[in-house]
Parts: sequence; structure tokens; C-alpha cells
Amino acid sequence: MSITFIDIERQKSWRIIIFFSVLFILYFVISFVMAVSFYQLFPVGFSSMKIFSPGSPSLIVVLISSVIIASIHFCLSSLNAVTYLKKNLPALAPDTEDEIHKQLINIVDEIQVASERKINIQCLVIPSLSVNAMSAVDLKGNAIIAITEGLLSRLSRAQLETVIAHEAYHILSGDCLETTIAASLFGIPSAGIEKVSAVSEGRMFLVPAFLIAWLLVKISCLLNMFISREREYRADAGAVRMTRNPLALAEVLYMLSHRWKGIGHIGVGIEMLCIMNTSDSILDESDGWFADLMSTHPPVNKRIKILLQMAHTGISALTGQMNGDENKKLNKKPSNMFYAIDNKYQWQGPFTMMELAVLPWLSADTWISNNGDAPAKASQIQLSGILLKRRFASDAEAASGYLCPSCRNPLIVKTYEKTKIYQCRFCGGSLVDDVKLPRIIVRKDVKYSERIYGLSRTTLSENQLKILARNNNNPAKLNMNYIYCPKCKSRMNRTFYSMAYLVELDRCSYCGISWFENDELEILQCMIDNRMASTPLPLPDVVYFPSP
Amino acid sequence: MIGWILLGTVTLFLLWVIITYNGLISLRNNVQNAWKQIDVQLKRRHDLIPNLVSAVKGMMEFEQDTLEKVISARAKAVSSAGAREKAGAENMLTETLGKLFAVMENYPDLKSNVNIMQLQEELTSTENKISFSRQLYNDLVANYRIRQEVFPNTIIAFVFGGFRKEEYFEASTADRAVPVVDASIRKSHA
Repeated sequence: MSITFIDIERQKSWRIIIFFSVLFILYFVISFVMAVSFYQLFPVGFSSMKIFSPGSPSLIVVLISSVIIASIHFCLSSLNAVTYLKKNLPALAPDTEDEIHKQLINIVDEIQVASERKINIQCLVIPSLSVNAMSAVDLKGNAIIAITEGLLSRLSRAQLETVIAHEAYHILSGDCLETTIAASLFGIPSAGIEKVSAVSEGRMFLVPAFLIAWLLVKISCLLNMFISREREYRADAGAVRMTRNPLALAEVLYMLSHRWKGIGHIGVGIEMLCIMNTSDSILDESDGWFADLMSTHPPVNKRIKILLQMAHTGISALTGQMNGDENKKLNKKPSNMFYAIDNKYQWQGPFTMMELAVLPWLSADTWISNNGDAPAKASQIQLSGILLKRRFASDAEAASGYLCPSCRNPLIVKTYEKTKIYQCRFCGGSLVDDVKLPRIIVRKDVKYSERIYGLSRTTLSENQLKILARNNNNPAKLNMNYIYCPKCKSRMNRTFYSMAYLVELDRCSYCGISWFENDELEILQCMIDNRMASTPLPLPDVVYFPSP
Repeated sequence: MIGWILLGTVTLFLLWVIITYNGLISLRNNVQNAWKQIDVQLKRRHDLIPNLVSAVKGMMEFEQDTLEKVISARAKAVSSAGAREKAGAENMLTETLGKLFAVMENYPDLKSNVNIMQLQEELTSTENKISFSRQLYNDLVANYRIRQEVFPNTIIAFVFGGFRKEEYFEASTADRAVPVVDASIRKSHA
């Protein structure tokens, strides 16, 4: 069945009227019940039944006041829906110094060209490891496309373009407006309620305000019925019409559904705005009227099938490519490794060239062996030029103006995983802005050596012991030596990245910046990539830095 | 009575003529505007290419032939005029640029050069914008042609004159190639 744009517009307006009516009925029922109970408690000479006979002034007052409250609620949430969403997510403007973020800005601009620049779309980045994208537009005409760092860094340029086109189509066709209004009326409050009820363990049910909000949550579930699955198919088709690349979109959906489905939680009540449902639901993969009614997203397999038909190819092309890629990854071995003799005359290694260059005890007299060849002094082997250049030449790399918090040498600005971090050339520690951590973790440019794998396992088991020590409140065992923030000079907190990934870091909560000792950043990436999470331990009283 | 009917018919006829004529005029302007949009992007591409060529020249000594082809294709594109000639020259430029990008893959040093990667990203973005503006332009031209050629409108177009048949901006042969599936998780940003 083909649906014209006029149909879409008509559907949109009656849905918005339904939202308003639901809101009005809700407030009417609540104020009616409150008024009746008020008269029951404080009788003023009439029976409460008489007051609420049709046409009585009290009924009209209740009616008018519920219309006013419903209108205020409606206007407040639908006019500023985008601003609320931005704060709630929280989404940030793309970093113009980051290569991948720059690419995102370009792509959004391209898509605006494809859509005849009918509407000004702002792109935002959600600093989260989860894999999702969403769009929102409010009655003021503010339109945003927000994309998580997780998705942004895992897609190629063409794939990212189709995702943006898909989201832009939601905005252009107008079906995004109704979902945004639904999310801001019922979804965003419901997210708040869920947090409160988790903390209060059910006691809050006695408060009337909480009861209203709880009703909102239930209604938002029912509203999913109105959000039709058709619009996802239409947005897929619209994205293909803009980018003429059905294959890239099929690739994205395949990746999302086979590797990253249900990973990462952006927020309750906004899943209808996203390209992929945030929670893993069986209904999403089923057909039929019941699934159509209850689920906001259509079966991914069906979407992929339609897209592949557009590209005149089959599903085997996708799966074959995917498995081949996995095999390639397994057979990969790090090559060109170095071994070096340390201050205690012990062979250390293997190191990659980069790792060798940042070894704190490396000097021109250090003995180095390349892949087990006859050892030579660092100054004699051919690589020494490159090594020393890497290590001592300061003109190639911009000085950051900060000093290393552990060895007091100047930090340099370095591009790591396509974003800028500060690094100490001498001790190898890194200073990373907290907003950049998620994107560093999801990007995969750095290859881990066996040494990093080993270190990750050891760090994990050692730090589990450390947590036990903290739990037993025995500070003597902790061996804490604090360091000071290079930016604001205040003492940094020593914490773990998260309770699952036990990598120690020093964090300055004023500047929002974290210090990793040599290798620790790579260890953290390696742990998260390989899912080396710690086994759950009893929660300590100490507050830890939560994972973003 | 007959006089009134005649007057009514003449008024309706004049109204139809005015509406149709105005419709054709606004479509013609939309087409011209869309052409200007492509022109802006083409100009940007012409400005970026010399920067890229001079940046990679030193590192790609063995590929002087490819570089020269890009430069001469650019010169041809800059000097061409008219939709058809321009489309041909620009498609030639797109193809030679595609070859240059393919050759650049063989030079890992280029990949680590931030400036070159930025230039390449800018060029890719401009190329995409060109192809999107081209789609828009072609859609508008198709619409304009249909409006001119359907039956009663064709009389008005003929009588008033000034409505040329705009040329399509044809896609290059390279664009029609069968795409290759890539479902791998990205390791580098090409």
C-alpha cells in the first residue's frame, strides 16, 4: 500500500489531537477525583453527587482547570522538546577538532543538500558506548539528529550517510514531530519516575504527584500502539532515495541487529525516536497484528530483505562478507616486535616500535633486538633515528602547556584514535578529557599486543584484590599516592573506570579530565573490547566514577 | 445572457493562461537555481584539487601521470560551458579523482598525514554534495520538461517562447558500476 504525503500529514495532525485528548482526560479524571474527595472530607452543606451533576459550576471549574493544566503541560513539553532531550541525553555538539566528528558535520551538510535544505538540522553526539541514532523535532521547528559515539566510530562514511539520511527523512516527512511530542509528554517524565521508584522502593506510591506520573508511564506504553511501524519502512525508503545506496543501510542494520542489538541504554521512553529499539524484545522480530500494535520497530530482517531487493542482491552476500572478516581478524599476528634490556639487565618485550619509543628507561645505550635478531645498541641500529626523533623532537608535536602529573615533563598534544589527547613522552601516561573517553574506547585503530592482553588480565585480578582491601577499610593496604591535576592543580581522585572494568585512573572532577598511567588507556580499551569484566563483588561504601 | 457566458469563458481562459505561464516561469527559475547550486559545489571542488595535488606531489613521485591527468581534467572542467559539455568534463574529473584516491591507498604515509586526510574528506564531501545537487537538478528538469510538453501547456510554451528544453546532468559511467558489499566493522576511516 502506498501512502502519499497528504496521508502522512493528515495522520500526523489527528495523532497530535489524540495525544492532547489523552492528556486532558488524564488531568480531568485526577482533578475530578481530588474535588470529590475534598467535598467528602470537608462537607459544605451539599452532597457531593449534586455538585457534579451536569451543568453545575463546580464541574465547569474542574473542566476548565484541567483544560488549562493540560494545555500548559502540552505547550511546555512540545515547544521545548528538543531542548529537554538535549539536556536529558546529554548530547553535545560535535568536536570540530575530532576527525570523525568533522566527517559527521560534513555528512549532515550533504544530506541537507539532498533534502533541498528545507529544514535546518543540527547534529549532536551522545557520549555513550551504545550503538544507536535518533532524531527529534519540536513545534518550534528545532530539529536534531543525535548519534552515539559507539555508532559514529563503528560505521564507514557511506554507512553513516545512510543512517543520517534515514533520520533526516523522519524529520522531513513530519512523522518525527508526533513521536517527539509523544516522547516529551509521556516518555521523558516516565524516565524520571523510573529512577525515583528504583530509589524509593515503592513508598512513593502514596504521594498523589507520583501517582499521576506513574499513570503517564503506563500511558506511554499504550501510546506505542499509535506509533506505527510503517514509518521505519518509509524512512528506509526515503534514505535510499536520498543516498541511492540501499546496500550501506542494509549493512548498518545487519551489524546493529547481529552484533550490537540491545547493547547500551540511552534512556527510558525515547526508544521510539531511535533507529533501533534500545531494549531487546521478541516482539520486534515478529509479524502479525499483535506485534504491529505493541512494538515500535519492525522486524530488522524484513527491513534488510527489502533493502537488499532494492540493491538486487541476497542476504548471503552480507553474511559471507561478515564471516570472512571475522576469520581475517583471528589470523592476524603482530609483526616487527622489539625486545630490549632494562636497567636490571633483563630482557623485556615484545614491544612495538611505539611502545619501545615511550619506555622510560630507554636510552641510546640500551640493547635492542628486532624479532630475536642479534642485539645492538639503540644508537647503532637503523631505527634509532626514528626512535629518538619520536622521543626527543618537540618541533613535530605541539606542546600542550601542561606538565605531566607524575614525572613533571611537558605533555604533548597527540592524535590517538583520531582524537586529541595529552601524552607524556617520557613516562607514557595520558591525560584524556572525560567526554573523549567513550569515543576512544569504541574506536579500533590501535592493535593490542600480547603484552597488553597479559597486562589486562593481571590488572583485573590485582585490582579485584584492591577493591577487597578498600571494602575492609584498611587504608594501609591501599598504598595511595595522590597526584595533582595539571590544569587546576587540585588533588585528583583515584578511582576505577567502572566496577566492571577495574582500571585505575586519577580523575579531576572540576576539569572533567582523567590521567592514565603508561599502558592503562590501552588496557582499558583491551578489557572492554574483549569483555574482560570483573566478577561482581559486594558493593563498597566508596563512590566510584560511574561509566559513561 | 450569451454575452455573460462569453465574458466568463474568456476570463477563465485568461486565468488559465496566466496560471500556466507563471507555473512554467517559477519552474524555470527553480531549475536555474538548482544549476547554480551545482555550480557552487563544482567551484569548491576546482579550488580544492590544486591543494590536494600539491600536498601529495612530493610523496607520490611515481604517479606523476595520474596527477597530471587530474590537473588537465580540472582545467578542462573549469573552461567548459553549457550543461552537456560541463557534465562530460566534470564526470571525467570525477573518474580521474577516483583513480587518484585508489592509488593513494597504496601509500601508507599519505594516510598518516592529517592535512591530506582532511583534504580528501573535504573533496569526498564536495563530491557527494555534487551528486545530491545533481539528483535534485535532474528531478526538477524532468518536472519542467513534462510541464512544457503536456498538451495544452505546450501551446503556451510555444506562443510565449523563451522556454528551452533544459539538459539533464548525466551521471558518469563509473557511477553505474555494481556496488560491492562491505559489512565489516570499520577499522580505519577511508
